[in-house]
Amino acid sequence: MSDKMAFDALVIGGGIAGGESALNLANNGYKVLIVEKELSIGGKMILLSKVFPTLDCAACITTPKISEIARHPLITIYNGSEVLHVNKIAENNFKAKIRKNPRYVIQEDCTGCQLCEQACPVNVPDQYQFNLVGRKAAFIPFNIASPRVAAIDIENCTLCGACERACPTKCIDFSQVPEEFEISIKTVIIATGFDLFDPLKIPRYSYEKSYNVITSMQMERLLAPTRPFHTILRPGDGKMPDKIAYVLCTGSRDTSVGNPICSQICCMYSIKQAQLLMGALPMADITIYYINIRSFGKGFEEFYEQAKGMGVTFVKGKIGKITEIEKGNLQLRYEDINEGVVKEAEHDMVVLSVGVLPNQGVSKMFTEQELKTDPYNFVYQPDLLISPSKTSIDGVFVSGTASGPMDIPDSILSAGAASTEAISYLNSVCP
Amino acid sequence: METEKGKTVKIMKEKRQVSPQVTENLKQYTRIKKNILEALKDEELTVNQLTEKLNLPKAETLYYLMSLIKYGFVQVGSVDDMDEYFTYKIKK
Repeated sequence: MSDKMAFDALVIGGGIAGGESALNLANNGYKVLIVEKELSIGGKMILLSKVFPTLDCAACITTPKISEIARHPLITIYNGSEVLHVNKIAENNFKAKIRKNPRYVIQEDCTGCQLCEQACPVNVPDQYQFNLVGRKAAFIPFNIASPRVAAIDIENCTLCGACERACPTKCIDFSQVPEEFEISIKTVIIATGFDLFDPLKIPRYSYEKSYNVITSMQMERLLAPTRPFHTILRPGDGKMPDKIAYVLCTGSRDTSVGNPICSQICCMYSIKQAQLLMGALPMADITIYYINIRSFGKGFEEFYEQAKGMGVTFVKGKIGKITEIEKGNLQLRYEDINEGVVKEAEHDMVVLSVGVLPNQGVSKMFTEQELKTDPYNFVYQPDLLISPSKTSIDGVFVSGTASGPMDIPDSILSAGAASTEAISYLNSVCP
Repeated sequence: METEKGKTVKIMKEKRQVSPQVTENLKQYTRIKKNILEALKDEELTVNQLTEKLNLPKAETLYYLMSLIKYGFVQVGSVDDMDEYFTYKIKK
């Protein structure tokens, strides 16, 4: 196998945890391949508005980091790609099969000028703005994407050729085909992140039935500097909302939807968004309906108190049903837990604080050995207290939320642990 | 196959057909874009006013309007006295 196809480490997933692990390995002289299924690295963090509890700009933290990852001479990144399978041959010897899906753009030649985007006549929902606005079929995923290079959404392309004619560097290339190849690696880090709960599984919350019921990730986009709208508006009719409700534990701590565990981040990101909304819409009333507020981390309790001090209303209540009434407003029927009575309240916008679910495809990648998962389908950590990054396969480590819900600082810590254990494994096995 | 740079779309045309849904989506977007720009030609309108003129659901009107702002065809006007709804106008 050529040197080009041999790496010290394969990092599956290019989010903040995978990127941090890769960077640590590369800074220690190891050659790393990151395989990322999306068109940009940065994972979910790059799409956030700000981070809690410091309210630092998420993009300002993520962008320099992903730039460092992308420019590192020892890191190779395959975007829009997937790991088909990984097989452990012996200690220090893994083989992996990778599929690199075509971008239909010669990455090295694209200047990110967006002339192809302007020329493209198509308009389809923008998945990076959670379908709140459209994008073209020839598009740059988002402004701070890395690489900031165009891609062609071939499924929605009309094959009109306008992008090719508009491209000044002639980098559009429809002749590209999927490539599959085998690589040789010595260790693997799983950083496949998490999925978000799909609120359509709770029909009584009226998600997609009422356009003014949105998810917390959609609100993140509305609050971000690269937002889909010019300000915070109701997607149902473009009204600036002034009575916003948050429904915590949507798809978490709920056995009826198959996820009994706490997602650990929803309380704090909702409180963060409430504070940001009070800054963006000073006249707005924000109410957070919660079962318990879990402000367990450093500075979290103070952050919660700060929100209360700013005027955010906290109601210990369990939501039964959300119904659309006149003018697109929403009626929340809930159990007031403190008073033990059923009440109703009217809001003009509802944000569902959706929970964290495991990204389940990862265990299927390991064909010859079993990558064990825990009862909730996150990657199993057999030695959680002593070696939290170890998995059921020696030489395969887990980084970030692939092992369970956690916030950004914990993901970074986990990524550090995974890279350290991977380096230790490489040193103990390599001569 | 030897391909000339900048003229590769014909290779894809030989390999795959554009689905009727994609074609229909393009027609719909082109029609709605034309109607929105036509409606905003003479006056600034809110989403509600545009909805009445276009006979579209409000959410759909907003989606297309925001897409047209993103693509540089439309710009935001002013907000009403109640600070609720913005008007939108053609970008000049």
